[in-house]
Amino acid sequence: MLRKITLQSTLWIFALLQLFPLIWLINYSFLNSGEFFGSAILKWPKKLAWDNYMNAFTYGSVPKFLLNSLFITTSAILAAAVLSLMLGYAFTRMEWKLRGLFMAFIMLGMIVPIHATLLPNFTLFNWLNLLDNPLTLILPYIAFSLPISVLIMSGFLGTIPRSIEESAVIDGCTIYGVIFRIMMPMTKPALATVCIMNFISWWNEFIMANTFLMSEKFKTLPFSIMKFAGQYSSNYGAQFAVMTMIALPTIIIYLLFTEQMSRGITAGAVKG
Amino acid sequence: MHKLLSNKMTIFALVAPGMFLFLFMVCFPIAMSAYYGMTDWRGIGAYQFVGLDNYVQILTQDKVFWRSLLNALLLLAATLLIQHPIALLFSIFVTHSGRFEKLFRTVFFIPAVISIVVTSKMWVSVFHPNYGMLNKVLSAVGLESLKQDWLGDPKLAIWCVIFVIMWQGFGYALLLYYAGLQGIPKDLFEAAELDGAGRVKLYTKVVIPLLTPMVRVAVVIAVTACLKQMETIFLMTNGGPVNTTQFIGNYLYKTAFTSSLYGYGNAISVIFVIVCLIITVAMNRAFKKDVGEF
Repeated sequence: MLRKITLQSTLWIFALLQLFPLIWLINYSFLNSGEFFGSAILKWPKKLAWDNYMNAFTYGSVPKFLLNSLFITTSAILAAAVLSLMLGYAFTRMEWKLRGLFMAFIMLGMIVPIHATLLPNFTLFNWLNLLDNPLTLILPYIAFSLPISVLIMSGFLGTIPRSIEESAVIDGCTIYGVIFRIMMPMTKPALATVCIMNFISWWNEFIMANTFLMSEKFKTLPFSIMKFAGQYSSNYGAQFAVMTMIALPTIIIYLLFTEQMSRGITAGAVKG
Repeated sequence: MHKLLSNKMTIFALVAPGMFLFLFMVCFPIAMSAYYGMTDWRGIGAYQFVGLDNYVQILTQDKVFWRSLLNALLLLAATLLIQHPIALLFSIFVTHSGRFEKLFRTVFFIPAVISIVVTSKMWVSVFHPNYGMLNKVLSAVGLESLKQDWLGDPKLAIWCVIFVIMWQGFGYALLLYYAGLQGIPKDLFEAAELDGAGRVKLYTKVVIPLLTPMVRVAVVIAVTACLKQMETIFLMTNGGPVNTTQFIGNYLYKTAFTSSLYGYGNAISVIFVIVCLIITVAMNRAFKKDVGEF
């Protein structure tokens, strides 16, 4: 019994410590900037400073950047899901000599650091006149999603019995019908895992967006914080509010899809 | 069926779009880097071909490059010696926490899903000399003398950064070990209990040895993650003070875009990819031998 209580309290304390900076962040997002410089660590504000959130919305261009993020991330994850289903099907079901080699080649992409492609891609996009265009993010996002996504899709496809496809073909289904009308619904759990994992990484992606986008028009949500670097840098309250607002969507998505996420991460780890 | 599955046109249609994108966005850029790495291009204007000069200079004379590698090594040491043992211990605790099991597993992972921009800026605020939480905590417990500008000190900054990276990655390591624990058959626990093995003995003698495959995976992931560290650095210190917190990713970025040494930056990129490839392949080779079975 005593052991149980010790164990539980150790976990609670550690969990609290782990989340404490976030609690601090949320707490201070409700303070007026003047209240930041007290000695108290956590502080009950005299009046909840909701205008921090209003300011964050306006100065940080949150609504516009949010829509940009949604558009860019959604396009990338949907395309990555479809492409990884196609590649996964070709690597696990289609019969061709080089499939092992091609799959291994794509898997190498897991090793390549995205930072090593920043400089050449900058030049490449410059040649193609693509700089400051959402495609400069969507294309590399899809490409860098492929290795892990194909790995998860192939693993899942391997568990589906072939007899279903055979009877569909006998009933007159084409191979594309098999993939998009039969396999697509059947691989939903794996597709969901792939989409959620890619969502978290690309929603939060910063360095490519910082390199390939220049104007405000297409910038993504993380840049709301960067807008407070200059002119509004002393508005601490609004900065903390904007950080809270950016953190929330991913936390909510994670809480809703904890199982898919955990499955994706461990599946990738064990087979990779 | 066989005829349908070996149709060359179908295979091409399925593989080509993804493969093309992969080649275009991942492989072709590396080839470009290899080319520009052999020039003295400064981003605009004409450039000259300088052969392997950049590469030789990086490997033999560039102190910042080696410092970046050393920092990755420091981070790796801290990850493997501090973060992973704690994560392993807590993953065991979590499996014994009864009805809160899912809650704890979720809570520990939350920092890992938050945007690095948010966490980095948040920690910069925590370390802030004036209103930062850390200095306030120190005053509150009477350690006024330890208050300082954490990220401004060349000796301390690297440890602050390492701490933040470990904090964010903790849930990830915990999740891996937790998954490993789930994969161990339940009857093993029962058998050990029947044999009268205590909890501690059960874990040190039975469970942890069985976790070895997962530990290997976690180590491989940690090594590559430490090498590829960049965003946290870029946003917290940008490599400073005086390059003491520099990492390769950030260094090549700074070299190309701040110092305008575009050719030299590309050469660092290429070496970066090669280092990652060699280390990953070598580790997979070394670990492939005697994978335990149960």
